[in-house]
Amino acid sequence: MLTVLIYGAVTSAVLAMLAVGFTLIFGVARILNLSHGAFYALGAYCAYSFTTLLKLPLIVSAVLAVALVAVFGMAMERVLVRPLRQSSLAVLMITLTVALTVEQVLFVVFGSQSKNVPAFVNFPINVHGVSVDGQRLLALAIAVVLIGALWLFIQRTRLGSAILAVSQDPEAAQYMGIPANRIFTIVMGLSAALAGAAGVIAGPFLSVRPTMDQTAMITAFSVVIVGGLGSIPGSILAACIIGYSQTFVAFYLNPEWTGTVSLVAILLTLVLRPSGLMGRVVNA
Amino acid sequence: MGKRNMVGAGVLLALLAGLPPLLHNHYLTGVFIVCAIDGIWAASWDFFSGLTGRENFGHALFIGGGAYAAAFLNGNFGLSPWFSIPAGIAVAVVFGLLVGFPTLRLKGPYFALATLASAAIMQQVAINLWQYTGGSEGIYGLDTLIDSSLGFYYFVLAILVATVVVLSLIARSRWGTIMRAIKGDETACQAAGINVTFYKIASLAVSAAFAGLGGVLFAHYQQAVTPDDFDVFLSISVIIMAYVGGIGTIWGAACGGILLNLMLELMRGLGEYRLWVYYVILMVVLFFMREGFVAPLWRRLRGGNA
Repeated sequence: MLTVLIYGAVTSAVLAMLAVGFTLIFGVARILNLSHGAFYALGAYCAYSFTTLLKLPLIVSAVLAVALVAVFGMAMERVLVRPLRQSSLAVLMITLTVALTVEQVLFVVFGSQSKNVPAFVNFPINVHGVSVDGQRLLALAIAVVLIGALWLFIQRTRLGSAILAVSQDPEAAQYMGIPANRIFTIVMGLSAALAGAAGVIAGPFLSVRPTMDQTAMITAFSVVIVGGLGSIPGSILAACIIGYSQTFVAFYLNPEWTGTVSLVAILLTLVLRPSGLMGRVVNA
Repeated sequence: MGKRNMVGAGVLLALLAGLPPLLHNHYLTGVFIVCAIDGIWAASWDFFSGLTGRENFGHALFIGGGAYAAAFLNGNFGLSPWFSIPAGIAVAVVFGLLVGFPTLRLKGPYFALATLASAAIMQQVAINLWQYTGGSEGIYGLDTLIDSSLGFYYFVLAILVATVVVLSLIARSRWGTIMRAIKGDETACQAAGINVTFYKIASLAVSAAFAGLGGVLFAHYQQAVTPDDFDVFLSISVIIMAYVGGIGTIWGAACGGILLNLMLELMRGLGEYRLWVYYVILMVVLFFMREGFVAPLWRRLRGGNA
């Protein structure tokens, strides 16, 4: 039982990292980023390349991987998404295309075999008599720290206030001298960095393969829908619910069925409480 | 329908009907069959998403639903392949209602997310339930609907024409006007006393029905189904076809499907990399030709209005 609790917490934490970034860029810029899963896959593959192929030290590779994914996200926002922001269909199309392209590139470069990302912590840690893979606990800790840091950043800094202002009314914020476009790029960078970091820390206990982005993306939006689009606390709460449901399904039924948890969660939420647990109603 | 439109449609149909027997090549006939099926998919996508502006990112859900219905009835239970058509349509409509009912009542991006997720998860389910679906290998050994490939081609072409005609007629009727009004201003429609949700869900069901029909034809053409019939790449290629054809025109979307497929065929030499052609085309259309390619080109050729 304790095992399930701990594994569930780890799954939830990784999901929360993905979902918070996804909901952040939607909440601030109304960009529904279908390439969010690709950021996650890129993070894991960057970590793999830097550590295994370039033999860089772990910490350096991790930081480099996250930075690279952030730059990729910002470049994508600037070059591909911004000219198309008027049309929501075009944004969905272009981000989905980026996701498929990344998947193809990873497939061509690394092949379809799953890769191993080295773990930061290689030894099991004993928690109340249950021995847990150290990397999972580290992932949990890093997720909590990063999301906490993001929260403080948004609530306590000038730039954070600017982000909040833009999320409430981009036009009004623009009149107050906040460069809304630059904020969008920064938020996309943050969102991508978070997804990339999730890929880096979860990589060691996942199978890192080119198609990993799709499942990640779908789970991320089920979390975001359950939590309420645009709400960060909602995403965290929903990440716990879905993370634990998936862990229960994987432990007591069959790991293959974890994907369907997301679909059931999406459909149930939309029928019972469309705005999600903590969301406001969106009119996009 | 203006005189010039009639002439244009006539020439296009003559080309589509005449080329395969003239080329007299089994392989090329197959290419034309796939073109026509893609035309059905693109037209049915455009009917719902092009007219109502609600982005369906999981058209493959309906395509795969139809295809797997055909595979179960014909491949697993050995029923006559003609039963596949009503069954495939029924399954696709049920999927349409299941996804449409919870999501289309709402505004916001829920519908796009839910369709994308449902198709992807159905793909997983098709792989997981390998005892019944053959897993990632799929189901093999379906019968052909019509043995002669040229005969089957004319059957598919007739269905494509019927699809475009039926969907265009609906689009020109009061129903179609309401769908376009929903795209324009949903709240105003509601204020005018129109049951917006009903029209959206019913239109999605119609769109799904034709997609499912296309799925059945595809399954019997390939004589096999695989989980790839639910793939997100299929959904997005259908959208690209409609984009290239011109969103909201239906006939344009069908032409887009045919055109893209022929282009892809010409680039067969590129092997795996030809999928990239789709992405390049998408970029060009998104950034430089918002209105699409086929429909605006025809408007220019034809000259005049309407």
